[in-house]
Amino acid sequence: MKAPLGLAAAVVAAAALPLLGSDYAVGIGLSLAMWVALTQSWVLISGMAGYVSLGHVVFYGTGAYVMVLAWQQYPPWLAVLAGGIAAGVLALAIGWPVLRVRGPSFVILTFGVAELVKYVVVNVEGALGRFGRVLFGGPDLQTLYWAMLGLAVAASVLTYVVRRSRFGGGLIAIREDEDAAEAVGIPAAKLKLAAFALSAVIPGMVGAIMVMRSTYFEPLQVFSPVVSFTIVTMAVIGGSDDAPGPLFGAAFLVVLAETLWSTLPEAYMIAQGALLIAFVLFAPDGIHGRLTARRARSG
Amino acid sequence: MSSLLSGQLLVAALATGGLYALVAVGLNLVYGTMRLLNVAHGEFVMVGAYVAFLLFSTWQIGPPWSLLAAFAVATALGLAAYRGLFHRLLERNQRVEANSLLLFFAVSVILQNVVALTFSANERAYRHLDGIVTFGDVSVTESRLLALVVSLAVCLAVALALRYAAVGQAIRAVLQNRDAAALVGVNVVQVQRLCFAFGVGAAGMAGALISLTQGISPFMGFPFTIAAFVVVILGGLGNLTGSLVGGLLLGFLETYGIALTAASYRSILLYGVFVGVLILLPRGLFGRRAARR
Repeated sequence: MKAPLGLAAAVVAAAALPLLGSDYAVGIGLSLAMWVALTQSWVLISGMAGYVSLGHVVFYGTGAYVMVLAWQQYPPWLAVLAGGIAAGVLALAIGWPVLRVRGPSFVILTFGVAELVKYVVVNVEGALGRFGRVLFGGPDLQTLYWAMLGLAVAASVLTYVVRRSRFGGGLIAIREDEDAAEAVGIPAAKLKLAAFALSAVIPGMVGAIMVMRSTYFEPLQVFSPVVSFTIVTMAVIGGSDDAPGPLFGAAFLVVLAETLWSTLPEAYMIAQGALLIAFVLFAPDGIHGRLTARRARSG
Repeated sequence: MSSLLSGQLLVAALATGGLYALVAVGLNLVYGTMRLLNVAHGEFVMVGAYVAFLLFSTWQIGPPWSLLAAFAVATALGLAAYRGLFHRLLERNQRVEANSLLLFFAVSVILQNVVALTFSANERAYRHLDGIVTFGDVSVTESRLLALVVSLAVCLAVALALRYAAVGQAIRAVLQNRDAAALVGVNVVQVQRLCFAFGVGAAGMAGALISLTQGISPFMGFPFTIAAFVVVILGGLGNLTGSLVGGLLLGFLETYGIALTAASYRSILLYGVFVGVLILLPRGLFGRRAARR
């Protein structure tokens, strides 16, 4: 009973962050909440079912683009919702043909689809004669922060609940041995597709919010593969099996990003790559996996 | 329309296709023998391109030495990665597919950013072998001709080696069935290491050829990874002749596709073909035997 109370206290404390009156602190809080929401979503398909997505930025970018298209024609919060739905529909369209088949096709498809969508958006914007769009007059930083915090909490709760449901049990079974899972009657194709669609919705909403925060839309930046890579690294560092993992991973890397990204972006990416390799080889369960193993040993 | 029938375009398509085939032959060997998705394959192309660029811009050394040096550097890097990362993983045998994928992803990002940090992220180019050779009404730069000849020659040599040499037969055995190959006495680990070294080496050599024909940048590798996957899926796993045909087919698709539309559609065309192929042939990565099941 202690843990949920502690977490609730943490959420209340996080919600009170704007009271400090520092835009810098709120900005970091926003970016932390964003990464938590993205990484938790990734865990649904890639951590639990073991189908690694290397292009999750495509959902983030789709949500952002929906926001851009709806800007000043529809209320922004409606556009956020629409961004999430569009991302989910895109996931269904990508996943439906490919997730029926087992194995690596899905992985390399996620790898290429993000670039395809990026260049489609680049060309559409070029044909419209728009090179970068500016979004002025959106909600203020505090409001965006609270919305993002809400998404981070929702994504964490979703991962927590799914992990403990029959649905989540089916996904884990698929990860461990898909043949055996199908043999005992788990509808693997259906579960994978559901998990993939579910893992896309919140990133779509996150993208819609973040484009209001940056007030600027440039497809090459919004669909940058760096986002996908950061999600993967955070999940692996923190542990991608359950809800606490992404919290550790996101916190760890956001601190690193604050210190390195602005001064030496290349060095930051190299450090991320090295961390990813180190964790895959020496601690594949991530920080959270290590902590639970230690607790099990001592307790 | 007459321009579409010109020999000019045909040679351009053949050169692009030959390079895709060369890159894909390497990926085919690596994926076929190890069943690991090397998403960093294109980064070895990029490394080869930078090796050739460096050799030429500092010492004016061009082909054939730059091609061999690119091959050697990519092979050395590949062997180091194999020893340091994948050998360990393959031995421990824990969720090898997912974990190796993450490792390759990390290797790709590290290589991109190390090169970007050393040489800046800007596009680089150098002029060498840009004389024009004319056959009838077709004129082509020497560099393109060299790319075409070398890539076709290497692909053919690999295909012949697979068919007739003893080591080639061992490789084919591993491609067809790893466990059965081990049972009849093939040293699977050695074959895998050899294929990995040669596969990324071929990618490096392709990179050196590419650097002669277009500008290079630290982030140039990704489209080649994608193209190689398209070719492997189209041509069939472990099927080297298929890779050659698939590479040329993709070269033609891209060259004529751009000629019919505009150069800005190049990326859409490439990734579109990739997504289309995967959606139509989602079993393409399993090889013929498994697909028939």
